[in-house]
Amino acid sequence: MTLTYIDWLIMLVYFAFVLGIGFALKRYMRTSNDFFLAGRSIPAWVCGLAFISANLGAQEVIGMGASGAKYGILTSHFYWIGAIPAMCFVGIFMMPFYYGSKARSVPEYLRLRFDEKTRALNAFSFAFMTIFSSGISMYAMALLIQRLGLFHGIVPDAYVFHVSIVLSAVIVLGYIFLGGLTSAIYNEVLQFFLIVAGFLPLVWIGLRNVGGWSGIRHTLPATMTQSWHGMAHASTNTLGVEWVGLTMGLGFVLSFGYWCTDFLVVQRAMAADSELSARRVPLIAAIPKMFFPFLVILPGLIAVSIGSHASATAAGTPTAAVMPLDQQHPHGIIPQKIDPITAQPVLDANGVPVYDYDLAIPTMLLHFFPTGMLGLGLTALLASFMSGMAGNVTAFNTVWTYDIYQAYINKRASDAHYLWMGRMATIGGIVLSIGAAYLATSFNNIMDALQLVFAFVNAPLFATFLLGMFWKRTTGHGAFSGLVAGTFGALVHHGLTIPAGYAPGIHGGWLNIVHTYPSDMAQNFWTAIFAFTINLLVTVGVSIASEPRPEPELVGLVYSLTPKPVEEHLEWYQKPATLALAVLGMLVILNLVFA
Amino acid sequence: MGLDIRIPLGLIFLAIGGIMTLFGIATHGDAALYERSMGVNLNLAWGIVMFAFGAIMFFIGRRQKWQDDPVNPRPWETKAKAKPRH
Repeated sequence: MTLTYIDWLIMLVYFAFVLGIGFALKRYMRTSNDFFLAGRSIPAWVCGLAFISANLGAQEVIGMGASGAKYGILTSHFYWIGAIPAMCFVGIFMMPFYYGSKARSVPEYLRLRFDEKTRALNAFSFAFMTIFSSGISMYAMALLIQRLGLFHGIVPDAYVFHVSIVLSAVIVLGYIFLGGLTSAIYNEVLQFFLIVAGFLPLVWIGLRNVGGWSGIRHTLPATMTQSWHGMAHASTNTLGVEWVGLTMGLGFVLSFGYWCTDFLVVQRAMAADSELSARRVPLIAAIPKMFFPFLVILPGLIAVSIGSHASATAAGTPTAAVMPLDQQHPHGIIPQKIDPITAQPVLDANGVPVYDYDLAIPTMLLHFFPTGMLGLGLTALLASFMSGMAGNVTAFNTVWTYDIYQAYINKRASDAHYLWMGRMATIGGIVLSIGAAYLATSFNNIMDALQLVFAFVNAPLFATFLLGMFWKRTTGHGAFSGLVAGTFGALVHHGLTIPAGYAPGIHGGWLNIVHTYPSDMAQNFWTAIFAFTINLLVTVGVSIASEPRPEPELVGLVYSLTPKPVEEHLEWYQKPATLALAVLGMLVILNLVFA
Repeated sequence: MGLDIRIPLGLIFLAIGGIMTLFGIATHGDAALYERSMGVNLNLAWGIVMFAFGAIMFFIGRRQKWQDDPVNPRPWETKAKAKPRH
C-alpha cells in the first residue's frame, strides 16, 4: 500500500492535536485530584462520549468488524444485549454510590463498603487486566500497521512491528503524562468524532456498492442478517450459543460485570461535574453506542457481500453440511490468512483456506477510499487503538497510585508525591503494556481472548457489587471469599470444558473434559454464568455466618440506607430515569427491526 | 477544566476538513483517483461536511471563555488575582 503526502498530512495533524491537548492541559494538573479524576469538573456529554470511546479500542473496531464478517448482524448483540441494559443500570442505580461515596476508584469503593482485602484483590486483578488489554491494543495496532505496509519504504520491514509499538507507546505516554485523565477524556472525544467521520462515508459508499441493506439480505444467508435468527438452539446460529447463554451470560453477567464495575469506564463517569451528571454519563453514552453496530459491524457484512451474488452455491454444495456455519457464506473481499513465516496461505485441517476476518475493516478502507479520505480512515483506526490503550493506562495509574501505592507502600506522602507517582505509574504501565503486547501473539481472535480474561476477573465481580450495594447484610469476609471462589470456579469450569473442534490447552479442557460446548463463545458465556453463581452463593453463605457491620457505617454505600438522590427540582424529562426508559425503548425498536 | 473540548475538536475538524476540501478541489475530475469510491469525490464532499462541523464546534466553544475551574479556586490564586499586576 502506498500512501501519499496528503494521507500523511492528515495523520500528522491528528497526532499534533493529540499531543497539543496534553500540553494545553498541563498547567491545570496541580493536584492528584486533577490528574486522576480530572478535578471532577467535566460536563456529562464529554464524559459520556469518553465513556464509550475508552471502550472503543482495538477489540471493538477490528474485532467487531471481524465478527460482523464472520457471524453477521448477530454481533450487534455485543452492543445491544451486551451493553445497553447494563449502562442504564449503572447510571440509574449504581452511580449514586460510586460518585456519592467520594471513593476515588472502584477498588476504593470496595474498601469503604467491605474491607481492605477485598479492595486489594480487586485492585491487583484490575491492574493486571488493564495492562493486558492495553498490550493487546498495542499489539493489534502494530500488527495492522505491519500487514498494511504503512511504513513500507520508510522503516525496514523487519523493524515495522517494533517501531509501531514504540511510536504508539510514546504518543500515549506523552499525552497522559502531561494531562492525566482530562487529556485522555478529551482525546477520547476527538477519537469518537474521528471514528464517526472516518467510518460513516465507508458505510455509505459500501452500501451503495452492494445495493443497500436489501442487497446484503439478498446476498447473505438469513442467519447473518437477522439478529435473533436461530437463537433457539446453539446449532442453528453462527455464534453457537442458545438464547439462555446469550442473555444470561453476555447480557447479564459479562455485560453488567464490565459496564457496572470496570473502573476503566466508571472512571469516566466519576470525572463528571456533579452526581446528576455522573448518572447521566452512561445513559448519554448508550445512545451512540446503540448505533455503533452500523459503523463497525456493518462494514464487515458489506465486505463479505461485495462481488459475491451467489449465496445459493454455498448452501447448495454437498460440502456445506460438514462445514462450520460461519464458513457457509461468501467471503467477498476478505483476504486469505497468510502465514507470516512461510508467506503461504493458511489451510485448515480439511485443506480449506482460512480467511483473515480481522482485516475486514482495513480491507474495506483500502477498497473504497481514495487518497486523502484514506488518510482520514486510517487516522480513525489508529485513534481508536490509541484511546483503547489510553483508557487502560489512565485506569491503571489511578488504581496503582491510590489503591496499591498509597494503600500498601507509602501511606502518608504529600499530594505532590502522589501526583508524581501517577506520572511514574503512567510510564510503568506503558512499559508493562509493551511486554503484554509481545505476549499477546499466541491468541488468534482478539475479542475471544479478551472475553476469556473478562470472564475470569469480571464475571464473579458483579455479584459482589450487586450484593454489596443492595443487601446491607453482605460482609467483607463474604465478599472476599465469594470473589475468590467465583474466580476459582471460572478457572475450574474453563479447565473442565472445551469448545468443539479445539485441542485441550489454552481453549479449555486442561483438567479433564466433562462437557463440550458448540463454540468458544458459548464456553465463555457459561464460564461467566458459573463464576457469577458461585460468587453469589458463597458471598451470601459466608455473610450470614459472619458478623455484620453496624448500619451507620454503611450510609452512602448501600441502597436501603442511603437517601434517594433529590430530583424534585428536575422536570420529568430531565430525570435520568426518563432518559434510561427512552434508551431502552430505542433498544427494543432496534431489535425488532433487525429481528 | 479550563480548556473547552469543543475548541480543539472544532480546530481539528477545520484542519482535516480543510485539507480534504482543498485536495478534493485540486483533484476534481480525476476519474482514476475516484474510481475506488464509485466516482464520488469523497474528499470534496466529506471535507466540506467536516469543515462545517468543525466551524460550528469551534464557534460554540469560543462563546464560552477559557476559565479556571470555578468550583475549586486555589487560595494562592485568589490572592494573586486581587493584587494589581505590574
